[in-house]
Amino acid sequence: MIRSPVRRDVVIALVLFLLMLAVPLLTGTRYVLTQLTVFFIWAVVASQWNLVLGVAGIFSLAQMALFAVGAYATAMLAYYIGLMLPAAMLLAALVTVGVSLVIGFACLRLKGPYVALLTLAIGQVMYLLVVNDTACFTTPASGCLPLFGGARGFSRFGDLGFRDLFGSKWYVGHYYTGLVLLLAAQLFCIAIIHGPLGLVFRGLRDNPGLALARGVSRMRYQLWVFGLSAFFTGLAGAFHAAHFGVVGPTAFAFAMLLFILAMIVVGGLGTTWGPLIGAALLMWADEGLREVSDWREIGIGLVLAGCVILFPKGLAGIRFRFSQGRGQKPDAPPAPPPHTSPV
Amino acid sequence: MLNMAQGGLLALGGYIAMWAMQAMGWPAPLAALAAMAAGAIAGGLIFVAAARPMLGGEGFETRIFIATIGIGLMLESAILKTFGPQPQAQSLKLEGGIMLGQVNLPWQNVLIFVTALLMLVLVAGMLNRSRLGRAIRATSMNRDAAQLMGVPIRRIYLTILMLSGALAALSGIMISSMSGLLPNMGADPMLKAFIICVVAGLGNVPGAALTAFAIGMLEAVIQYIFGVQYAFAILLCLVIAVLIWRPQGVFGHKEVVRL
Repeated sequence: MIRSPVRRDVVIALVLFLLMLAVPLLTGTRYVLTQLTVFFIWAVVASQWNLVLGVAGIFSLAQMALFAVGAYATAMLAYYIGLMLPAAMLLAALVTVGVSLVIGFACLRLKGPYVALLTLAIGQVMYLLVVNDTACFTTPASGCLPLFGGARGFSRFGDLGFRDLFGSKWYVGHYYTGLVLLLAAQLFCIAIIHGPLGLVFRGLRDNPGLALARGVSRMRYQLWVFGLSAFFTGLAGAFHAAHFGVVGPTAFAFAMLLFILAMIVVGGLGTTWGPLIGAALLMWADEGLREVSDWREIGIGLVLAGCVILFPKGLAGIRFRFSQGRGQKPDAPPAPPPHTSPV
Repeated sequence: MLNMAQGGLLALGGYIAMWAMQAMGWPAPLAALAAMAAGAIAGGLIFVAAARPMLGGEGFETRIFIATIGIGLMLESAILKTFGPQPQAQSLKLEGGIMLGQVNLPWQNVLIFVTALLMLVLVAGMLNRSRLGRAIRATSMNRDAAQLMGVPIRRIYLTILMLSGALAALSGIMISSMSGLLPNMGADPMLKAFIICVVAGLGNVPGAALTAFAIGMLEAVIQYIFGVQYAFAILLCLVIAVLIWRPQGVFGHKEVVRL
């Protein structure tokens, strides 16, 4: 009945959305809802990073730095200018797009894994500049505050206003905000992946020579995917800042970057639903491993290496892999979509 | 291939050397050899566990990069669990120095300089002159064509990983003798080494040596003029400017893409 992959994915997204809508009505515990809110944030980051990394094949590790830019821009706009948080978040997302285009222009001339290390180095420099900045920009009551917050970061820059609206149940408001953010980001991903832009991105990934020969400008389209995915990444960072009410240099932490990267790789690079599956699985596993926190790093390393080696297509690709292994053709090949995608 | 576990191998070498001298009481040359052997074995294990199953598969470059990130993370965590998080001093170290006019030159720095130069000459000579070096260069230029010409690429990858593991361990000893031992001490040198390779143009050993020297000097000058905290940032901006000007690196040749 549902033949086109676009319709299939949109239907899945909407069904999941409706199911998640009901969660606060069924289980009101704050723990579950805040945990899911954080999941929404990481799922958005993972799905947007997947657009760059998996769909377009650009090996960028700048995504967490962009996430941090979104968070910092929100905090700074709200703290220094006194902007309302929703407005600050939107503006911060646009700032993130601008920053991503600058980074993209510098890095996309390189190729493959060399993009990875330069983007990683740029994130590192941003971290060092924030942490090593000790000159006072303003001096609020609590003491000295550098321009970028220094090692302490920002706090008390306002909230989303759900505390006034729902009182002690404010986290339900955050839950729904996160859910809407994830739905918007996922619909955006589906539109890109199945749309004409997705075709161009995959073309540049799979056979850059042929794509160039057909007149596709590599730089231009890679900048496109860089900037587009930065919007929701910045927005996720902004929402992270609003949800927790603090922004600090931990946003640049390499461990966090690896955690999100592991989500994408475990779920399936370049697939539509892989990053979400990976995010759910890894966050669940991480919660379970909390009691043996000493082994967390080793666990993530093992999962990361093991999944790349054993399941090249990620968990989302396993079914496909097995059916191929038995010598059958899968009944509905996931790619490629028709040339005239109705998006 | 890009090996992101290189930083972990650096730390491994440093810690093994310290452990061999402190816990086992071995003399310094033996400790250095032990560290290099450990690095080589770790490199060999990376080949067996990650590179061999993936070779010839789709997206090798991307997948090996992610897999070695995971392996490096495990290696560093294992070192952390074994030796603890406190910074430690490297035991393998020369004391004293020589006065050249007004300048005190520690023997340690002389040793590092001589060792580094020796290793560079050996690696460059091996790559440019020997049969093995030719096979390595052929594999890096075009893996498929090299294999068709009878180059045993699996053995080449194994050799290269073991060799780079041993060299990383040796560099780890030298770096830790100046700055001390920490489980994550390899991250910064690895990032810098990579930047140097990209700026020089990949696969060019003399160019990389020259660039490393130039970047080191430049960093020292920037630190002196602007302050330590801005050195890496300014350096990176310069690097980005260079790469926009010459994406193939200063000493690299423009790549011709064939379909």
